[in-house]
Amino acid sequence: MVKRNPAGMHMESAENSPGAGTTRFRLSGAKALSPSYNSKNVIQQRNHLPATVAAVLLTALPLVSQAPPPPAPPAPRPQPALYRNLIVLDPAHGGRDKGSQISANSAEKEVTLAFAQRLRPALVAQGFTVVSTRDSDPADELTTDQRAGTANHVRPLACILLHAAPAGSGVHIVTSSLVPPETTPPPGRAVMWNRAQAPVIPMSLRLANEVGLTLEAANLPVLLMRSSVPPLDNLTCPAVAVELAPLKGSSKNATSAADAGYQQRVANAIAAGLASFRTHNAPPPNAIPSMASPRAGVAP
Amino acid sequence: MIPRYQRILFWSLVGCILLMGAFLLHGCREAHKRLTALNDATPIAAPTAAATEEVNLYFASDANATIHSSRAQVALPQDTSLKARALLEHLLAQYSRPDSAHPLQSGPSVDDVFLLADPAHPNAGRITVNLHGSFADTHPSGIEVEQLTLDSIIGTLHAAFPEFNEVRFLVDGQVRETLAGHASLDRTYPLLDTTAGPAVPSEAATQP
Repeated sequence: MVKRNPAGMHMESAENSPGAGTTRFRLSGAKALSPSYNSKNVIQQRNHLPATVAAVLLTALPLVSQAPPPPAPPAPRPQPALYRNLIVLDPAHGGRDKGSQISANSAEKEVTLAFAQRLRPALVAQGFTVVSTRDSDPADELTTDQRAGTANHVRPLACILLHAAPAGSGVHIVTSSLVPPETTPPPGRAVMWNRAQAPVIPMSLRLANEVGLTLEAANLPVLLMRSSVPPLDNLTCPAVAVELAPLKGSSKNATSAADAGYQQRVANAIAAGLASFRTHNAPPPNAIPSMASPRAGVAP
Repeated sequence: MIPRYQRILFWSLVGCILLMGAFLLHGCREAHKRLTALNDATPIAAPTAAATEEVNLYFASDANATIHSSRAQVALPQDTSLKARALLEHLLAQYSRPDSAHPLQSGPSVDDVFLLADPAHPNAGRITVNLHGSFADTHPSGIEVEQLTLDSIIGTLHAAFPEFNEVRFLVDGQVRETLAGHASLDRTYPLLDTTAGPAVPSEAATQP
């Protein structure tokens, strides 16, 4: 029978052994180190028990120090800095937060969700895996921190925040207005939640530029802007907010951001821009010998 | 002898009159509250003793998402805090004109402006702008339009108070996450010249 005494040692009572009624002490996980004691002696020498335990410990210390060290637990596998084929979409607003009123019968939360559902297959066609912060209209709106947490957890190549506006013209590509730090923080160092985007601002600007180029190639008017739109500043991945504003052509009537054809054109251009961004900024790991370290590299 | 039914009718009519009177009084009070909220008549300072000053106002334009600077003569109080408030009130009032390139609703816009200078660091002061709740509630929603309003305020404050280097926004004395659902208000903005327009995509900027 094995019990644990307050000193943290296993007390093994060998009642069925030839020396029945004796109590032996041993260190956890080690063989018995002390001689057996008769139970009568134990009762008689109860007052000497602390001294005995101390003596046993002093005897055991050299043996413990000579024991082979326990096998080290396997080191956790380092996670890659980003997954080059993963994109996070964040259709803004939702729930009680309707956003702006885009047209007489559509709110911004519905337009952004419809746009995300058009953008997803376009991205899949380019070989991306897509994670969305919401696929329906939830009863309660997601908080800014929940959206940022979802995006940061999966380490995507890019995060795209989707917005729509009833005024303005064309497509607005928005990058965080935070100022990037002068020196790049070392990997693994904690960053402030409200400035999490700052170290990747240069990549976010390149992402905005790539998407802007493909939108221009699709004959869509583009504005590249800087603004702090929640949760842009909390994202650790390259991130931009895409705001769909009405498309004003030569005719008097502007195409609303809720128009399906307009959304599809923009979605195709954004998907092409992201594919170009992946090619330029996150080539496959086996294509770059210097990217041997998984932490600094990219996961396929 | 007045018949019983006539007495009942009389008192019923009296009751109806009292109820209608109470309802009318309640409606008048609610309307008064609404009008008071929209028309803040708090005097900022008597500008009679103040001479007009030439100031730089930074105006936003929705058409091309730009901010342009314009000089104007404005009568401003001598007190620095009141001067900042009057300057911003004047700036934001221009956006309610019919020909505004960045249309905003008229009404009170700025409740208070606090200037917190740091004597130890001459150019490290902070300005806190307390916006009126109705201004934020009626502001058009959208990233571009909200950011242009903030850039307009930031640029104007930077030109008028170069000794301060950052600004923070409150709404009705409270921290608010966004102005109208998009542009963040729960961070501190550096005071700088905001006349730079939107960037243009270029092939040269695609390479890391």
